[in-house]
Amino acid sequence: MVSNLAVAILNGVVWGLIMALIALGLNLIFGLLHIINMAHGALYMLGAVVAWYVIELTGNFWLALAVAPLVVGAIGLVLERGLLRTIEDKPLVTIICTFGIMLVLQQLVLTYFGGTARRIALPITARFPLFDLQYPVMRIAIAAISLGLMAGLWFFLNRTRYGLWMRGVVQDREMAVALGVPVDKVYMWTFVLGSFLAAFSGVLAAPIVSVDFMMGREILIMAFIIVIVGGMGNLEGSVITAVVISLIHGVGSVFVVPSTATIFSLGFMILVLLLRPQGLFGG
Amino acid sequence: MFLDKGKGAAFAFLYGAVLAALAALPFFADLFYQTFVTEVLVWVLFAVSFDLIFGYTGLLSFGQALFFGVGAYAVAISVLKLGLGTGAGLLLSVAAPVVFAAFVGYFSVKLSGIHFVIITIIFALIASTVAETWTGITGGTDGLVFMAPPLNLGFLKVDLMDIRSTYYLVLGVVSLSCLLLRRMVRSPLGKAFVAIRENEDRARLIGYDVPRLKLVSFVVAGGLAGLAGGLYALSLKYASATFLHWSISGHAVVYTIVGGAGTLLGPMLGAGLIMSLEHHLVNLLQATDLVVGSVLVFMLLMAPRGLVGLLQGRRK
Repeated sequence: MVSNLAVAILNGVVWGLIMALIALGLNLIFGLLHIINMAHGALYMLGAVVAWYVIELTGNFWLALAVAPLVVGAIGLVLERGLLRTIEDKPLVTIICTFGIMLVLQQLVLTYFGGTARRIALPITARFPLFDLQYPVMRIAIAAISLGLMAGLWFFLNRTRYGLWMRGVVQDREMAVALGVPVDKVYMWTFVLGSFLAAFSGVLAAPIVSVDFMMGREILIMAFIIVIVGGMGNLEGSVITAVVISLIHGVGSVFVVPSTATIFSLGFMILVLLLRPQGLFGG
Repeated sequence: MFLDKGKGAAFAFLYGAVLAALAALPFFADLFYQTFVTEVLVWVLFAVSFDLIFGYTGLLSFGQALFFGVGAYAVAISVLKLGLGTGAGLLLSVAAPVVFAAFVGYFSVKLSGIHFVIITIIFALIASTVAETWTGITGGTDGLVFMAPPLNLGFLKVDLMDIRSTYYLVLGVVSLSCLLLRRMVRSPLGKAFVAIRENEDRARLIGYDVPRLKLVSFVVAGGLAGLAGGLYALSLKYASATFLHWSISGHAVVYTIVGGAGTLLGPMLGAGLIMSLEHHLVNLLQATDLVVGSVLVFMLLMAPRGLVGLLQGRRK
């Protein structure tokens, strides 16, 4: 029991950190562009799929982790410049548009990648003893990489010129324009960064879950839950919420059926939406 | 367009002509094609139900799938588990979704914009998770297969195991529902919905009870989506937990946007066009969603008022 619980807690933290990356991407895009990106789950899925191809070609997971997010980031660039730019001020229209993009991306992957789920071998196969069970070192590595990327993101947002611009546009778009911030470029790079984060977490998740074209569909909803509970536009809130929700879900699943845990977390989100629409950590 | 703005006589003539053409269809189309058109008619009803809540009232609801699925299960469960007739099943396929829509709507209409979108997705997701888990009643994702007993309308019996009779039943119910909906959107109530869509604050200031009107629109749309689900289950003799998944609502979104939101003709054209496209393309390439998604994005960017908007634009 103790070892099961310890594994559930560790799994919850690892999965929570992956979810935090996904939610951060979604939240960045929402906070800046006011786009509810329904294609975010598909970009996450695309990251895992591209990684699968890279691993198939080269056999190197770390190369895939470097390449796949860049490829998906480039796709994000095309999507933002080509499609979303003209409708960025209409939230409902962007929801429907990104829903269409989601359909296209899923179907493209289904056509070329196929409908069967595929596995990615663990690049680190070592395990360490945890009470009377063994825990894969790879998951600890995944958690460490996620934390590293979040630290990088924090540094980018708080210590670089582009990060300053991004925060400025969130606070007051008109004033940012007046002060000479290239808002249009900031929008573009924010969407690219969000796509990059989605794909990066897709690659990190790939060794844990299997890769298939529908893997982003439920993740998308989980990411929405996290962003809303943590507060839209509140990045720290998203990270805390992601870890806490994953922990509750993981530990809860030891005691109740996973679908019951899902229903409870969805019900909890409805309560947050109704009682604190600005999120639990919002001002 | 003529379906909601046209003069009475012109409308009656056109509607009658389309109905007559559809009624004559089984005499020169094979059974396979009749099944296909039956399905199109069901999705037309589903699409106009979504258009009432989105196109007229301005609320983007992804929860329509919930009511569609509940409607489908209302028919399947009444026939299979409760031993009721098809008629009672169809009545329940409106009544049960109306109850669900009143509950979901009561909470959802308190929110607006994207919060509304997300809460409707979550309600649908809870319902589909429950339906997937509660296999004793719903059959889960495998679903329920049933035999529909004949529907006794008093003056005639509709044999639902026969494709042609099912087609006529669906045609009758869908065309009547569309007429009722037309009546509704042209009434003062319908104008109030549009007022809310155009400017919620102004609608409130001139004295409309906005949350209540939104709830009315939500419940009517839910009931119609349920009826569409009931007819769908009846034509397939099948209902499954996948019907409740929020992404099913996406069908209605696509048809409505492509056809033209805020007009009744739009979703009908959209459903007909997209489904014909899928029907003919499915042999050519398997990737129908690719076409659907591309058409959706293209129309959204190039012709945001849909096919109806294009037709109107050309006429002016």
